[in-house]
Amino acid sequence: MWRPRLKPIRVAGALAVGGGLTLALLDFRSAAPAPLGHWLASVQLVPAAVALATGVGLVAAVIAGMILVGTLLVGRVYCSVVCPLGVLQDVIPRLALRRRQPRLPHAQPKNALRYGFLGLCVAGVAAGWGGLTLALLDPYSHFGRIATGLFQPLLVLANNAIVGLGERLGVPLLYRVEAPWLGWGALALPLFMLTLVGMLAVWRGRLFCNTVCPVGTLLGLMARRGAWRLTLDRAACHKCGNCLQACKAQCIDLRAGAIDVSRCVACYNCVDVCAERAIAYRFAWIAPARKLGTAAATPADLGRRTFIADATVLAVATMSMTPPPPAAAKPVPVVDDNRSGAVCPPGAGSVERYLSRCTACHLCVSACPTHVLRPALFEYGVAGMLRPRLDFNRAFCNYDCRRCGEVCPDGAIALLDLPEKHVTRIGRSVFTEDLCVVKKKGTDCSACSEHCPTKAVDPVPYRGNLRLPALKAELCIGCGACEFACPVVPEKAITVNGRRRHERAQKPVEKPLAPAPAAKDFPF
Amino acid sequence: MKSRRDFIKTGLAFGAALSCPGVTGLFAEEKSAAAPPVAATVTRPVLVAVREGGRAAMLDRALAEFGGIGAFVKPGQTVLIKPNIGWDVPPERGGNTHPELVSRLVTLCLGAGAKSVSIFDNTCDQWQRTYANSGIGPAAEAAGARVVNGKDESLYREVEIPSGVKLRRTKVHSLVLDSDVFLNVPVLKHHSGALMTAAMKNLMGVVWDRRFYHNNDMPQCIADFLTVVRPTLNIIDAYHPMVRNGPRGRSAEDVVLMRTLLASTDIVAVDAAAAKLLGHAPTDVRHVQLAAQLGLGTIDLGAVDIRRLKLA
Repeated sequence: MWRPRLKPIRVAGALAVGGGLTLALLDFRSAAPAPLGHWLASVQLVPAAVALATGVGLVAAVIAGMILVGTLLVGRVYCSVVCPLGVLQDVIPRLALRRRQPRLPHAQPKNALRYGFLGLCVAGVAAGWGGLTLALLDPYSHFGRIATGLFQPLLVLANNAIVGLGERLGVPLLYRVEAPWLGWGALALPLFMLTLVGMLAVWRGRLFCNTVCPVGTLLGLMARRGAWRLTLDRAACHKCGNCLQACKAQCIDLRAGAIDVSRCVACYNCVDVCAERAIAYRFAWIAPARKLGTAAATPADLGRRTFIADATVLAVATMSMTPPPPAAAKPVPVVDDNRSGAVCPPGAGSVERYLSRCTACHLCVSACPTHVLRPALFEYGVAGMLRPRLDFNRAFCNYDCRRCGEVCPDGAIALLDLPEKHVTRIGRSVFTEDLCVVKKKGTDCSACSEHCPTKAVDPVPYRGNLRLPALKAELCIGCGACEFACPVVPEKAITVNGRRRHERAQKPVEKPLAPAPAAKDFPF
Repeated sequence: MKSRRDFIKTGLAFGAALSCPGVTGLFAEEKSAAAPPVAATVTRPVLVAVREGGRAAMLDRALAEFGGIGAFVKPGQTVLIKPNIGWDVPPERGGNTHPELVSRLVTLCLGAGAKSVSIFDNTCDQWQRTYANSGIGPAAEAAGARVVNGKDESLYREVEIPSGVKLRRTKVHSLVLDSDVFLNVPVLKHHSGALMTAAMKNLMGVVWDRRFYHNNDMPQCIADFLTVVRPTLNIIDAYHPMVRNGPRGRSAEDVVLMRTLLASTDIVAVDAAAAKLLGHAPTDVRHVQLAAQLGLGTIDLGAVDIRRLKLA
């Protein structure tokens, strides 16, 4: 009987999704269309779930539903095709200079760990630490940070080397780009994760996906109830062990003749190498797992019990942790109770809303044309770690740009209409007259006013013919152009304070101009 | 800090030097800043002012007054065109030189046998967006120019400015230093910091570190820079100048239709005329006044050979 070869289909799918997403994350020239990154990120389970919780709606519901139903039907195809961190773990061993894959014998599942991490994740979300918990556990977000923070700078360095070479040869094809180095603080976690995932991938296949990753564990729970399961035909099997050699998940138990589908990532390597065609999808909707020998019954039951116990303990433990204290609880009384330590992007709504939804995948960090978006360390507080903020020391938010909203997969940064963005105040500028060049040195400057897109800072006549910047606070949207442009060092004369809850700025009203004195000939 | 005496000395030295025909080249460090090829009779610089035509038509007419583009661009020469491409705004906002004018100039230069025509600006807004949305990037490329990154520090070289009062050295884009012909093609705008931006202020876009200017008496720095780099020809786009909320502008309502184009090899004279278009006395624009004091051109329009032309 002819059966389609499943492995090439899986590989093709993985290359398309993983490759496309990598391209979008590495796109330092903003050459890839925004929808590419947005959609490939939107089909990831955690962003889809967050979007659903955010109320972004139907599309996210369909995506999340398709992933869950798909897993219920055919197992964890998601982990081999859709998840970029999964695909990365398939790629790394190929790059590691080893001739043969290590032979990984069947191993018992690390149930305490895997259900522990899933429980931690559930408890974290339930306790209102969803953003941070998911940022630390979501596999897609890990991959996003690795690609943006670690791979992109390497690509840029390569690009710049090629530009240098091209210049020497007289072929100006490309242009140089400033290397997007995010700093050791922001890169510590991605670096750790890349090392961990890479080493595990080389030595233990998909152990990460079957112990740490909560998405893998959740989908594993569904796969165990799957309609079609990869099943070993004990009559046909010669116990040659080729499938063990090929399996990345250590989930084939040849002695028992069983495959643990909760850990199987549906890579189909075993199907591909089995000369006897003993491994194939078989319909098993009704039959209990043990009769078909798909998973050893006892470990599975144990696993469930462990899971419930772990989840309860962790849920209680985490819920007893208090969510981040509101700013009002600061000991020093502040007049401006809407002030935030960091500026979050337009469309975020408020720092609280943003931090509860953003999983720090850094797709926006990569897509931001001005690179004003950079991962925070502790500017939002500990609970805001890794989440992008606007750093006006490096750049400012382009008035007519809303690319972060276009790419964000989970609605943490909602896509605003441009007229709406133009009046969305993410920060408020503060002018310190005594630091200003005009007052200090008695010379003209107005760099702030030059850059201000709304003329919220506009100079007024000052001593002699000088013009001193003055604020029209109602027009300020906090884009940071003034702070970036201000030449005063080290402390700038004009700075922008973030808004915890974004505010609405006034739209500038233009008085009509008198028509040009057209008939006036030449005024000289 | 220069004393007043030093300042006057410098001014006198320059004035004296410039009054001798043919020695302006001595002050040009690089060939791009060489003495204007034609028409710049030192005593009476020519200023062409054209009104009431299309952008391309006014450019053609102005150049004809100098004897055509061939008066400035010889076959085989490398040309740099420096428009104002400061802001990520569309052409109708008047925030940048109009792409139609740039495109026409590129075509003329290539038609005159230029080996290459390059274009760049050290933009204020994000450069790819600004090149694209100003319309200049696509228009210049379509006309055959090479559009160069102005945000690549490795393309800038340090230049000494021995006669600078405040600006003693700065990093300048290598295209300015290496091109045979340097065409300065700004747009005329109101400017919140400098009162007006036209030809002289546009040259802040060829240096790497603008913050130094802002921190150290910007008008003086603008004037100082001219002592080492002077464009071959200055062409000011005053078709619809921005008259308020400059230099970025807030909306298309900030421009008025003036349908004017100015051209001169004398950068002070052309800016003085531009100031008058916006209703300012030339001496009110401090960088123009300071450049005149340094003897870098003629601020007194009475001493300029103005060719007033109307196309309609």
